[in-house]
Amino acid sequence: MIDTWTDLLPMLPELFLLGMVNLILIAGLFIDERRRGLVHFIATLTLAFAAILTLRDFDIDGRVAVAGGMFIRDGAGDVLKLFVYLTMGIVFVYAKFYLRTHKLFVAEFYTLALFSVLGMCVLISGGNLLTIYLGLELMALSSYALVALDRDSPVAAESAMKYFVLGALASGLLLYGMSILYGVTGSLDLSEIATRLSSGEYPKVVLAFAVVFIVVGIGFKFGAVPFHMWVPDVYQGAPTAITLLLASAPKLAAVGMTFRLLSEGLEPLARDWSQMLGFLALMSLVVGNFAAIAQTNLKRMLAYSTISHVGFVLLGILAGSDDGMAAAMFYAITYALMTTGAFGMIIALSNAGFECERIEDFKGLNQRNPWFAFLMLLILASLAGFPPLVGFFSKLYVLQAAINAGWLWLTVVAVVMAVIGAYYYLRVIKVMYFDEPEHEHALQAPGDVRVVLAANGLLQLLLTFFVGSLTALCVAAWQ
Amino acid sequence: MITKTLLLTIALAPLAGAILAGLFGRQIGRAGAHWATILGVALSTALSAYVLKLIAFDGHEAVNMSVYTWFRIGSIQAEVGFLVDALTATMMVVVTSVSLMVHVYTIGYMEEDPGYQRFFGYISLFTFSMLMLVMSNNFMQLFFGWEAVGLVSYLLIGFWFKRPTAIFANLKAFLVNRVGDFGFLLGIGLVLAYLGSLDYATVFAKAPTLVGQTFNPYGTVEWAVPTLICLLLFVGAMGKSAQVPLHVWLPDSMEGPTPISALIHAATMVTAGIFMVARMSPLFELSETALSVILVIGSITALFMGFIGIVQNDIKRVVAYSTLSQLGYMTVALGASAYSAAIFHLMTHAFFKALLFLGAGSVIIAMHHEQDLRKMGGLRKYMPITFATAWVGTLALMGFPGTSGFYSKDAILYAVGSADRAGASFAHASLLIGVAVTAFYSFRMLYLAFHGKERFGHDDRHGHGGHHDHGEHQPHETPWVVTLPLALLAIPSLAIGFFTAGPMLFGNFFDGAIFVADGRAPLAAMAHHFEHGSLSFALHGFLTPPVWLALLGAGLATYIYLFNPSIADRARKAFAPIHHLLERKYGFDEFNQAVFARGSVWLGRAFWRVGDQAVIDGVIVDGSAGTVSRIAFAVRRLQSGFLFHYAFMMILGLIVIVGAFALLQ
Amino acid sequence: MNYESYLFLALATLLVIAAGAVVTLRNPVHAAMSLVLTFFTSAMLWILLRAEFLGITLVLVYVGAVMVLFLFVVMMLDINVVPLREGFARYLPVGLLVAGIMAAQMVAVLGGHHFGLERYTAPPAVIEGSNTAALGQLLYTGYVYPFEIAAVILLVAIVAAIALTHRRREGVKLQDPGKQTMVRKADRLRVVKMPSDTREGHGA
Repeated sequence: MIDTWTDLLPMLPELFLLGMVNLILIAGLFIDERRRGLVHFIATLTLAFAAILTLRDFDIDGRVAVAGGMFIRDGAGDVLKLFVYLTMGIVFVYAKFYLRTHKLFVAEFYTLALFSVLGMCVLISGGNLLTIYLGLELMALSSYALVALDRDSPVAAESAMKYFVLGALASGLLLYGMSILYGVTGSLDLSEIATRLSSGEYPKVVLAFAVVFIVVGIGFKFGAVPFHMWVPDVYQGAPTAITLLLASAPKLAAVGMTFRLLSEGLEPLARDWSQMLGFLALMSLVVGNFAAIAQTNLKRMLAYSTISHVGFVLLGILAGSDDGMAAAMFYAITYALMTTGAFGMIIALSNAGFECERIEDFKGLNQRNPWFAFLMLLILASLAGFPPLVGFFSKLYVLQAAINAGWLWLTVVAVVMAVIGAYYYLRVIKVMYFDEPEHEHALQAPGDVRVVLAANGLLQLLLTFFVGSLTALCVAAWQ
Repeated sequence: MITKTLLLTIALAPLAGAILAGLFGRQIGRAGAHWATILGVALSTALSAYVLKLIAFDGHEAVNMSVYTWFRIGSIQAEVGFLVDALTATMMVVVTSVSLMVHVYTIGYMEEDPGYQRFFGYISLFTFSMLMLVMSNNFMQLFFGWEAVGLVSYLLIGFWFKRPTAIFANLKAFLVNRVGDFGFLLGIGLVLAYLGSLDYATVFAKAPTLVGQTFNPYGTVEWAVPTLICLLLFVGAMGKSAQVPLHVWLPDSMEGPTPISALIHAATMVTAGIFMVARMSPLFELSETALSVILVIGSITALFMGFIGIVQNDIKRVVAYSTLSQLGYMTVALGASAYSAAIFHLMTHAFFKALLFLGAGSVIIAMHHEQDLRKMGGLRKYMPITFATAWVGTLALMGFPGTSGFYSKDAILYAVGSADRAGASFAHASLLIGVAVTAFYSFRMLYLAFHGKERFGHDDRHGHGGHHDHGEHQPHETPWVVTLPLALLAIPSLAIGFFTAGPMLFGNFFDGAIFVADGRAPLAAMAHHFEHGSLSFALHGFLTPPVWLALLGAGLATYIYLFNPSIADRARKAFAPIHHLLERKYGFDEFNQAVFARGSVWLGRAFWRVGDQAVIDGVIVDGSAGTVSRIAFAVRRLQSGFLFHYAFMMILGLIVIVGAFALLQ
Repeated sequence: MNYESYLFLALATLLVIAAGAVVTLRNPVHAAMSLVLTFFTSAMLWILLRAEFLGITLVLVYVGAVMVLFLFVVMMLDINVVPLREGFARYLPVGLLVAGIMAAQMVAVLGGHHFGLERYTAPPAVIEGSNTAALGQLLYTGYVYPFEIAAVILLVAIVAAIALTHRRREGVKLQDPGKQTMVRKADRLRVVKMPSDTREGHGA
């Protein structure tokens, strides 16, 4: 229930976002192709202002519930949202260059992407099964459309179709789980569900059954095995700028959704869901890493690498502790920053007639451009988790949380898989540094892409110095 | 007051200079680069001097503060922190002041080098790393500083990366230091395992609990934990401070530009090992065995590296071997529990050795980058300032009574003479012979370079770089940016010992910073003679064997190289086998090449054959088409591309999870 | 068992049969018609639960609008159904097996044992009078936030549909009334001067 205008204050960033998307939607109709940079500018500004509005009332320990508990504003949510804005801002910079060279530079990209951001925010703040579902749909629907943005590409259309159908199936399953949960507890409100679950006597097996469906919905959003089948096809089929978008910010939203659903709403059932997540994590780690080895297309390889990284995120979540959630969040944040860098590099090296997406396209990059090769080295080494890059620390925290929660065997598997996984990152590094370049493609990346890419790559190194503060932030957010 | 801001400024000012010169070198230009770095280091020097004044004269207490918590994993806490006491303050002043001199000197030395800004960036970065190392209050930061100075050192040895010898030297320094660092890291790991902390204060407070604990590697073998820890830490020190047998990288590091040799490979970085052992004195005092090992290793280095110095013809290599020998002296002092004498010698050595190196560099500039002593001679007429300062440096190095080297070297000799630990008498004898050897090779170098006949200019076969006209071949005194640092370094080389020997060696200056076990008084014998002050001690010095030995060595050198050069040739022929042995540097390089280098190549090949070809290719890859790639391939097959397969997989997964986790629970 | 129970069972059976027909019938028009039946029966079930507004909305929106549109599309496209059905028989056993397991699991968990009326009392009918008014009341007060999000989702759907299908085609002939009215005689009319044939007897 919204009684007064002040009740709306906590959702000011979202309201602002909604207003700006509508503005961009209409303005996009009137801005002709030559001045479309203006749309990009407004969209980036929108993200910046949303971040400022979020920071305005930022309170790491605070928790405000609005609209009858359907919208929850708290520290963890705010941190996640801030990083969603940040990654989206990075995505916009890379995407602009890509869309321009591929003649896809349309205002709808920004409209749909910002709608997707709005969906993520609703999802992260969802305190009610209803708003979680609606946020998820808002985010997903925009993504389906974005994948199909390149209408003349049959591959993109096919992958959008797959994404859409499988997404509909997954959200159907999620909805089914939610309906059982509602049937059992009689409430849609997550905190109410938690109280009823911990006090009331409900049939365990029914609850576990409902949890399975909810976990499946979450697993699909993350792209965890065996609900991962869409990931490689969509990552490869979608235009790279869209893949970049799908691979980064939605993972943060998925962490938020998992937190709301599992650790807030289904906290009393932690034993059940952590077992299931353990299964998903194990499968994701094994399948993701092994499948990545066999890939020759870098986008596809990164898709499988995403799956294996999801295994790590789940490892943090299934620990069930505050530390585990903090570790998972830290992992997702750092992963988002790595993956934007990796796809950003693909975009920066591509140009109008050439997609730099096969691994062999990176041959001899060090000779062609040592600076880009170095940045890519940092990004890949961070993905592989080599110390002292930030990827190492994120893995370390997750593993520690899992060990503390008694998941020693899974931790051992994760470490072994990380070692196997290092192989395919090293292969790209080897190709960049030790092979002879096969072709000369002029680098056309404009200044803004170069600057952001440099920042993105160096961040892997620089963040290492702020690991303490960043993890402290994550830990504070979950307490 | 020593505040956090003050200490941060000291550490970060050189870093700021390094960033400006290193990353924005092209924008700020050559003058910009040297001004930025020199101002940064000068600020740091001034503030370090202020800190030393506060601690030495105003009785300021030692400061231990945490600046930034880097990360925390379980009980392990990685912090950036500062521990500033007398030991640290002394090191800070030594590091920053020598670094400042070298910065100024570099303007002249690197004048024509295209990598001018890069070079300034590196040396400022080095200064920052070294400061972080000495100011650290925990093992983690110590290790990072340790690696950082090593890294800059490799970068600088290979600064002229177009020379293959420089690249080889670079690689050698890197590999040898890896051996040392491995031991060091193991030592730190053991400290963490047994004491549960990386913080100095905690570790030192808990250190006595280590006594009596044993480490059981296998079977019934038991090692005393304190000895094990100390030996492993000392392996690290051996790598960094170039003790036999990990010394081989230091002479080759002379491939780097001379300012670097002075700053890194003589005055500061190589003494990090000495500093570390002194800092860890509460641990080392627990193990008599470890101290004995240190004593013996140090004395071997001190004597045998001195011998090699006699036969070297490259001016920089003579100084390099003398550095090795002097580092041996410091190590011996550590082994004799005379940590304060080691640090004292470290300080005096930093000044006079930097002076000698920079003097050698000045000669090299004048000779248009000719380094062979046999092609010099008679330079005293052409470069009087360099000549005078070289004399000062040589006197200090040989330990002429009154010079700073005299006090520090005598302190070490007294300490070893009165030590009663295994190996002490051997060490004492080696050091005494070493004194004569030191005097001999330093005067030999002095005479060959500055006195005697002019031997340059006759050898026209030797190129001197295309841009030098043959007409202006005559050597000339170097510009003021080169001679000023020489003059400024000559002052402490002469006098610093005179003023500081009393408080540093016998006063309570190092109390709280250096720990010596009860009942040990390594410097008591010397204190007895020192009662009447520095001056009377210097006069008394003329009556003691070390000075006689030094004068003997110097006299011999004077006779051979100044009056009767033919003896040198005859001696070379007469003692051909020994000369050969020294020329080959006892064959360490050959041994390493043959055993380690070839051995590791062989081992690598064996692994490649057995591991790669047989196991990985044969069993894993070819055998059953590769376990890994087969799984990968199987997983790939699943990804058929058909939508209904995917949906089917999802449903299947759902059923499995429901069955396993909902129904069967 | 009362009258309402019998009615429920009859309608539910019909619903399941109709839904099964949707996926099994070969002719798409027949399948669509079965879907209409499915909607009708579920609307009736809702009305049976006294949710008249929802029941009628279902009929109006889905049967009246969506399905009619759907039928139009199916008839206009003239889809060749044979290839679509090719795998049907091949995958039928596997599909049936999986569906069977799934159904068994659901029965085991959600059967009367866990979900019967003995465990849960039926929620009280809180609504007095028109449930249309009650729904409206809820939608615009307590549930206004999800309602608005749903509206945004519809907006996204519109934007996506237009973005993906609308394209500016080349060579389309369009009228431009502005141009038509501004036209002048000179633009359209060309006066051609023909040499007059004056020579006598030429044609003759």
